[in-house]
Parts: sequence; C-alpha cells; structure tokens
Amino acid sequence: MTQVLLFKDIDEPGLNTLDVYAKRGGYESARKALALTPEEVLAQLEASGLRGRGGAGFAMGKKVSFLPKGSIDKYLVCNADESEPGTFKDRELMQKSPHMLIEGIVIASYAAGANRSFIYIRGEYVHQADMLDAALAEAREAGYVGEDILGSGHSLSLVVHRGAGAYICGEETGLLDSLEGKRGNPRLKPPFPANQGLYQGPTLINNVETLATVPTIIRMGGEEYSKLGTDTSKGTKLVSVSGHVKRPGNYEIELGIPSREIIYGLAGGPEEGREVKCWFPGGSSSPVLEKDDLDLPYDFDSMAKAGSMLGSGAIIVVDDSTPILDVALKVAKFYRHESCGKCTPCREGTNWTVKMLERIDDGTATPMDIEIMASVQEHIIGNCLCVLGDAMAMPIGSLIAKFREEFEEHIEQARIRNGLGAAVVSPIPEPTHA
Amino acid sequence: MPRPQPRTIVFTIDGREVKAPENAMLVDAAKLGDVEIPVFCYEPKLGNPVGACRMCLVEIEGIPKLQTGCSTPVKDGMVVHTQSPRVKTAQQAVVEFLLVNHPLDCPVCDKGGECPLQDITFGWGGGKSRFVEPKRHFVKPLALSEKIAIDRERCILCYRCVRFSQEISEDYQLVLLERGAHSYVSTFDGRPYEAPFSGNIVELCPVGALTSRDYRFRARPWEVVDGGTVCTLCPSQCNVTLTVRDERVMRVLARDNPEVDDGWLCDRGRFAYPALAENRITEPLIRDGGELRPVSWERALEEAAGSLRRSGDSTGAIAGAGATNEEGLLLSGLMRETLGSPHLDSRTTGKLPLELHRALSEPKLQATVPDLEFAHAVVVLDCDPIADAPILDLRLRKGVRRHGMKRVSAAREDLLDDTKRAELLDTLRAAGPKEGPVEVVVLWHERLCAGPDGERTVRTLLDLAATLGLAGIDGAGLLEIPAHANGRGLREAGVLPNAGRELGEVEEEGFDAAGIADAFAKGELSCLYLLGVDPPAAGGGTVIAHAPFLTDALREQADVVFPAEAYPEKEGTVTHPDGHQQRVRRAVRHLGEIRDEHQVLAELATRVGLAVSA
Amino acid sequence: MSTPQQIEVPSKLREEIEAHMALYPDSRSAALPALEAAQRVHGWCSPEAIEQTAAVMGVMPAYLAAVATFYDMLETEPVGKHSVYVCTNISCSLRGADALHRAVCDTAGEDPEFNVRSFECLGACDIAPMASVDGVFVGPLSLDDVPRLLDDVRAGRPVLPDKQLSTRKVADPNANTHDFPTHPAEGSTA
Repeated sequence: MTQVLLFKDIDEPGLNTLDVYAKRGGYESARKALALTPEEVLAQLEASGLRGRGGAGFAMGKKVSFLPKGSIDKYLVCNADESEPGTFKDRELMQKSPHMLIEGIVIASYAAGANRSFIYIRGEYVHQADMLDAALAEAREAGYVGEDILGSGHSLSLVVHRGAGAYICGEETGLLDSLEGKRGNPRLKPPFPANQGLYQGPTLINNVETLATVPTIIRMGGEEYSKLGTDTSKGTKLVSVSGHVKRPGNYEIELGIPSREIIYGLAGGPEEGREVKCWFPGGSSSPVLEKDDLDLPYDFDSMAKAGSMLGSGAIIVVDDSTPILDVALKVAKFYRHESCGKCTPCREGTNWTVKMLERIDDGTATPMDIEIMASVQEHIIGNCLCVLGDAMAMPIGSLIAKFREEFEEHIEQARIRNGLGAAVVSPIPEPTHA
Repeated sequence: MPRPQPRTIVFTIDGREVKAPENAMLVDAAKLGDVEIPVFCYEPKLGNPVGACRMCLVEIEGIPKLQTGCSTPVKDGMVVHTQSPRVKTAQQAVVEFLLVNHPLDCPVCDKGGECPLQDITFGWGGGKSRFVEPKRHFVKPLALSEKIAIDRERCILCYRCVRFSQEISEDYQLVLLERGAHSYVSTFDGRPYEAPFSGNIVELCPVGALTSRDYRFRARPWEVVDGGTVCTLCPSQCNVTLTVRDERVMRVLARDNPEVDDGWLCDRGRFAYPALAENRITEPLIRDGGELRPVSWERALEEAAGSLRRSGDSTGAIAGAGATNEEGLLLSGLMRETLGSPHLDSRTTGKLPLELHRALSEPKLQATVPDLEFAHAVVVLDCDPIADAPILDLRLRKGVRRHGMKRVSAAREDLLDDTKRAELLDTLRAAGPKEGPVEVVVLWHERLCAGPDGERTVRTLLDLAATLGLAGIDGAGLLEIPAHANGRGLREAGVLPNAGRELGEVEEEGFDAAGIADAFAKGELSCLYLLGVDPPAAGGGTVIAHAPFLTDALREQADVVFPAEAYPEKEGTVTHPDGHQQRVRRAVRHLGEIRDEHQVLAELATRVGLAVSA
Repeated sequence: MSTPQQIEVPSKLREEIEAHMALYPDSRSAALPALEAAQRVHGWCSPEAIEQTAAVMGVMPAYLAAVATFYDMLETEPVGKHSVYVCTNISCSLRGADALHRAVCDTAGEDPEFNVRSFECLGACDIAPMASVDGVFVGPLSLDDVPRLLDDVRAGRPVLPDKQLSTRKVADPNANTHDFPTHPAEGSTA
C-alpha cells in the first residue's frame, strides 16, 4: 500500500489556512530545518534521492548544490506554470495545501542561500494563485516568510507572480525571461540558471511538487524518505490520470508500482467494452506506450527504458475508439500553438507537421507523406534551442512508428471519401476468361 | 578597463589542427582554419549569441548532441566536425525548415545575388524541398518607414533587426509580435520605425525582408561596383562602401572599422546620397549683370586669379565641411605664401591661443573611439553625440551595455563651477576600480571654446585632464568633436589664423572666422575665399567659393563659384577626430565639368603668379 | 508620437502598476501583471492601454506590445467582457470537448458579452471536459450544462456552483463516472 505523504490531509477542510495546516504539523519541518545549518539541510535533500517532479527528473539536492556559495544575491523560483497537457497535480497542491509549498520554499531557500523567491504560477490558475496569496499573507504575518525567519537569521521574500498563458514559460529559462517581464523565449544554455538565472543571478528553479515534498523529507529524514520507491526513483509521486478512464484524477503513488495498477486499479481503466489503445506516461510530450507496456513499473528508469519518459507524471489514456490521427493532430496543434518561434526547427517543424496531418485528415495526402512526416520529426529532435520541438516530435514520431498502418489506412479512407481514389492502387486482377 | 587578451589554443576542425584565440566562438575560430560554418542569426556586433536559427550546428567530440557553433567557445584540444553525416543532415534540415515559409521569389528580390539565404541554401541545403503545403502569407511589401520596406513573407525570423533596435541603437521600436510560426517583425501599432540608425537593419537582414526603398529595384549585385571611401558628412568619418552603377551612387553601406564606426552607419550617412547627386553645380559660375551665369573654367579661373591678385594680403579664407587635408594645405599655402595673408580659419568658435591648441592635441592626451567603449567613465561634455557625431552614440551605448562604462553628461558650468567640478571629479573617480588608475575619456565639442568664457573653459578642461592624470593612463584622454567633418585635419594643415602646418608658429596672426567676416563687411578685406562654407557676411569685395550646391547666400553674394565635389567624387585624406588619417577615394566620376578641388587650388596659386610651396 | 509625460493614466491603474513594479528588483518584471491590470480597465490590451502601461513603467510601448502578443490571456483585439475558455486539448477532447466548444459557441452566438475561446490544456483534466469561466474552473460539463452556464454568467450568479473545481475532493472514487460519459456521442473529429 502506497504511503500517502503529500495527500495525507489533502481533503481536510481548511487545510489551506495556516491554522489547520499548523495543527497537522505544518511548519514543524521549517522549524527543524532552520535549526540546522544549510549544509545539513542540503545533506538531507541529497540523501532523500528526490528527483525533480516537473518533467526532467533531475536530482533536486544536486541542483541545489550547483548554486555558487557566498553572499551574492541568489534566487529561488518555484515553477508553478503547470501546462503540460494532462498534468494537474501541482494545481491540487496549491489550491488545497498552499502552505506546504511555502514551507518547502522556505526550507529550500535556506539550503540554497537564496533570499528572494518567486512562485511563477500560470495565469489560468486564478483560484490557485488567490489561495497562494492568502496563504502567503498568513505565513508572512506568522513570521515564516520575511526577515530573520524564526530567529534563524535567514530572510526570504516571496512573490506570487502570475503568468498570462504560454506553455513555454514552463521551460525554466523561458520562465525566467517571462518573470523578468519579457516574452517567454527560452535562453541559450549554458549559462545554466544555477550560475546565471533570474536577473543574471544564481537561481534555483524547482517544480511545485518537488518543493512541496521538501517538508516531508525534513520530517522523515532524507534517509528514511529514500527507502520509498525504487533504487533510482525514490519516494512517492503524484500522478494525474486523465482521458479514457473511469476515475480521472490525481493519485499519490509510490514510484515503481505497475502502471496497470494506476490506470486500472486507481483510475478504473477504460469503460466496459473498451481497451487501452495507447497511453502517454508523462504528459503529451512523452512518446506513447501501448497496451503491452501496462505492466511496466511506473518509475523514471522503466519509462525511459521503454522509450518514453515519466515526465511530469501525467498519464493520458486513449482507448480503442479513438482514431490515432485525432490524437496526433491534437498533440501537434498544441505544440505548434505553443512554439515560441525563436528557433527554426521547432517553429517551422511543428507548423509543417500540423499541415501534413491536416492533409492526411482531409484526404489529400499519400502514404509517402508519412515518410516525410517521420523524417521531419527526426530533423526536429535534438536540433532545437529548447525541448519544446522535441516535445512534439517525440510523441508524433512514436505515434507514426507504432500506428503506421492506421495512418496509411486513414489516408486511403480519406482519399476515397473525398473522391480522390486510393493512393496505393491494388494490382490489376488478371483478366478472367469465360 | 582591461581589454580582452585571449591566449592562443589549438583545436581540431575537420581533421586539421587550427590555432585560435581561446573562447572565440567556434564559427569565428573555424574561419582561421578556412572552415565556414553557416550562420543567419549570429552577428557578434549584436551582442551575445542567441542560437535561434540553428544553422551552425556542429558535432563536438564528447558532447552527445549537436552544438551551435555560434555559441560554443572554443577550448584547447576541442575536436570539431562540420562535415559529418550528422551535421550535414542537420544543416540540410535547417535549410529546409527555413524555406518552408520563404517565398523563394529570388528573381524579383533585391537581395538576390547577395543573399546569405541563397548562398547557404546553395552551399548547405539539400537541393530540394518536400514542402507542398501553402506558405504563410502577409500583406507585402509594407513601408516600415519612409526609407525601409518590409516583406514579412521573406523574413526567416533571425532576430537580427529587432536585436539591433533593442540592444544596439536601444530605440526599442522594432519588436517581434505574436509567437511561433505567426511571429513577425513590427513596430508598436504599425507606426513608422523612425530612429537615427534605422538603416542598419537593412544591411543586417540576411534575406530580402528589409530593403531600402531608395535602392529597391535599382540595381542587381552583378551590375554594380563597390567603392570604399569615407563619409565626410560629419566628423564621425564613418567608413563606407558605395554601391555604384553607371557612375551613380545607388546605395551606401557600412564598411566595418572598429577604430571608427564599429560597422554601423547613421541614417544621414546612409540615405543622403540621392540628395548629394541632385541640384548640383556642375560648371563654373560668374556673376554677370547681377546674376550667376555659367562660364568656362578658363574664364572663371582667370576672374578668380585676378581678384586674388588684386586683393593680395587683404584676402580672407574660410574652409570647412568635407574639405580634405590636401585642400587645406593648398589653401593655407595660397593664403600665407602666395598672397601673404594670415586671415584664414577653419574653426567656428574664435581664436584659441596656440599653446592651447598644442596642449589639446598632445599625443598622450588623445583618446580613441574604442576608448569610449572600454573606459571606466566617459564625460559627454557640452555635446549631443546623436547630433554632433551620431556614430559615437552607439559606441557610448555599447560601452555602457557591455562593459559597464559610466556615462556622465556635463555642461560647461560643470567645469567652471568649483563645486560642480569637484562633484564631477568624485563621480568619475567612483567609476574606477578600487585600486589603479581611473580611465576617463572626455568627449567634447569644439563649441566649448566659444564665447567669452571659451578660453577659460578649455584651460579648465586641461586642468581636469591633468588632475585625473589622463595623459599618463592608457585608454584615457580627450576626444574632440570638431565643428566640421575634417576640422582636425584642416587645423593641422594650417588653416588657422594663428598657426601653420602641424600647429607651427606663424610670423603674423590673422583674423579668425568671425573676424574675417567682420573685416570683409567693413571693407578691410577685399576678397573672400570660401572652401565648402557659405558667405558669412555681405561685403563690398569679391566672394570666391567652392560649392557643390547653390545656396541662397551664394546666389546673393558669390562672384565666382567653382563647382565642388561631393565626397563620393573626392580623392584625398581626412583626419579623424582622434588624429589618425583616413583615405577618401573617388567612387564615381565628376558630374558635369567639376574638377578636383585641389587641382583648382593649385591652378589658382599658379595663376596668381607665384609657385606654391606646399 | 506622444511622450510618456503627455499620456494620461487613470490614477487607480497607475497605482496598481506601480505597486506591482515595487515587488521586483527590476520593475520590468511587472510587465505581465501590469498589462493584466490595464486589460481589466480597458477590456483588452488596446494601443491606448499599452501606451498607458508603458508610460507608467517607463518602457517603450513596442516592448509591451511584443509581450502582450506573446501571451494567450492578453487580448490584442477587442473581446467580450466574460471569458469562457473551453479546454480542447487532448484529455478534454477525448471526453467530448470539441462538441462542448461548438455548443458553447453556438449557444453564446453573437452575444458581445462573451469571449468564447478554445483553449490549450487548463490543467483540470480530472473534470474533463471543462471550461474556465472568468477564471472559475467548471466541469465535467455536459452539453446540457451550456445554457445554464451562460445564463449564470449573464445573471452575475456564481457559475454552475455544483460543478466548480474548487469544491471537488481529491480522492473521490466516483469522480466523473456518472457526470459525463467517457464517450460522448460526437467526441471525435474524424
């Protein structure tokens, strides 16, 4: 049975208030951490083995340790721009347990030596931002945020910054530009944010769930936390399950449990009479897996080994009633819409891919176009400034690879429907003689 | 401020060992090994690389993903491949992507023949396109400004123009609107892009998206010849390349000289050329029956020589505008030696004692244009660079932006008032390092010498320089913007009332420019010889002028007018405000009957009766 | 062109923008909240709204125009007062969002009060298909909910109170199973 850590009291009425949060042990971890040295807190984070929950899965403790030491202005930025299609776990934490995030930020900033912090929350999350603002006011009032927190000498300012609708601002450097008041164009790396991030200063950027896990790690001890999950994927993870399942929602699981248990056991699986056709294990940018992959353990490495990724932990289930072209079009159109336009392969590649898919749909394509589309995906992957191009090319590439026959069938059917005739003409039957 | 002095390293590119300065970007380092890595968005003049176009992807051993050569600093021992199948595939892919939305209308595009997109497509592209879908469409072409047309369909979104507007000229008018494949270059609310350096974006554009409206459809690259010269429309003396077709200037382009212009050009320098060829005086004129009428050279020269002979030492001369050093030398020879008159000037602000001229041009005290960039602080004294020497404004901005140079504006009062001067000194010292010398450059304009306070102000300026020890500090000093384009050159050629060549002593001091005008009006001078300037005052005597255009003042007062060259027709040298000489080369032949001005001066000197000892 | 000093800015808007600017080490960081505030006042990021914001922030209007056109929630054309963003991304579309979006468009018709848009994933796939109505997330929506949704907005009532996300429990085992079929009649685009 999965240990419930982040979601332990999640439905408790009033958990969003300091009062209730504190009664459930809230800010005890901050108290505990601020009594330690920053190095000791960092050691706990490193010992926990916690990997970033935003998508890339980078070891959180290591990320903190990359920040230069010394008394320069350092920043902590919480990435709350949750926009990867299918992902809605951070939303749940922020609206129901905003103090948990704030507490995590206080502790992490202490470990990193950052004195200014920001929560960059996507503009669409109006209610969640309001909840954070209210919680932040309480935390400030109670002295958990501000000057000389709990007498530790650590000071921290925190601002909830609302975005205005751009997926690319979830990319950490796009986020930084956006937070600086610019268009959210990703930056060239290096320099990495740990050295030159917000306002050119060293910056730690972490996802909401990652930071919200920090109080738990301090409470349990890093060592203890690391006993959860698998060797390389420690701890529990919030998983958002959506699409063709009976009970879409957020579930806290221990990393490494069979994927089937999440999709069928927790989320109820597809409706009676339907089967899983494919599923995205980590948001719409992860290459799709198929029915046969359902027994894979749900953790970073198993997903990677299967050619996909755990990403943000968003499972999107597509059942066998859905044409694969519809899935591909939705995905491609999304990334075309969200491409910032800065680099060529992403800007033009996403645009071209959508146009090709539309031709497949309207019956003006031929099977040769599938080759071109596959090659365009290959030309995008690895050649872009940031990961957005890959985020389209990888799932589209996987859909083409795994469902090529269905694409071909779609092309033929659409051509025939439009009166263009089959693209691949069957051999002429031998004349029959009477 | 310390200027970069990189050490030399060795790296391997396409199997060859190449020496390069450490941390140079790979695309630049590659050139040292004769390897070209194609680029679109990379332009080091625009600041840090942005890595947007992805054209320069290369393979570096030890790094799994292809890297952008524009943003990868070269390191010792690095092994780079630009010809591997992976790289070629990526380059072809990027070209194909770029052409997805490009109209490929090269036959009717002004850029055709000198287009990086054409060249790179030919050199690095796959040679065919698989894109059959409709391309993106925009209304085109649109006037981005009075001078520039924009064709958004041709744009490959390389960011160069918007980076120029935002990071170089810092006018921040040109931006990218919308995002993704819908992005386009525009201004706020469709307003015209009006800025002093706007024309540079035409040159920066690697495709035919931004074109000069004056040049549009006027010439093809294979029909033109280039002429390199120096623009003498202002003291900046930017180096330019003139595009010439059929002996007409069709276009002015920047010619990068880091000591002068850093590769930029102001709009006046870029767009004034049509005006330089219109309404010109193309033959000698003589006042006849109250009006200026065209005459032969012989008649005009004889008339002028006669007047000068008669006037002798009661002749005054004023030179300015783009007059060259050679013209200055000939003029001072004609005046001092041939006519025996000391009344000549090329300055506008009164006579400055010779000792001050000499102190100001003391070699150790001379700052250069790059010093503006690397100094700890620059005092912009009593001048407005945008108006006085536009290109220096960009250099000052660069210094502030890239090197943290402190730009301090000061007026004459800040020098003359003791308290204010002390404050200024404090500000300047505070801009320097904790230890070691403070590199300060004072950028000042000739007008500082004007008025009754002029001399005192200049003395205070020299005191300030002495207090700061500028003469003994590398990269520090004074940089004067003269009133005329070749003001410094003319002075050093001896076109001064109180100094000869190279600021040498003269036996007799003459009137300065204002004094000459005054004396001419009073009848004390009977002949006025003007090189590139308008008659300063009416008088009873004879006015002889070299002029390219017939101004109202000339029409009313000149008696002999020699048709003068505009700078594209000129041959000679000029002296940059920092003291170094620049060559003005003829790019187009003379209009009409125009002759070399120095030839005219020499001829006159001969006719006046004596040999000229130049 | 008018200089920043010549541009009149409503004092409340000026105060709000200045308050945002004060929150950041570099006041330009306030661009998004400032534009959002101006949009609330002007109804959209009109050239006038942008010029006012630029005047307060001390930046060029073009800078803010570039920012405004980058973000989906900043409107650069005049729009209806009430925004209805219908999520039509993958998870919602699998559960009938395209039909829902058509229904909202059809029902709202030409009513100038509404700004109906199909939107990218709004991060509420647990209540798919869903919409954000003036920032309030509601779902799962059936086609029958559409008239009531619009009426609630018109009447200034809380929109579909029983379907607001904020009331939903996280670990609700019965979530969605009865509210909306996973296969609505016309969910697919093919």
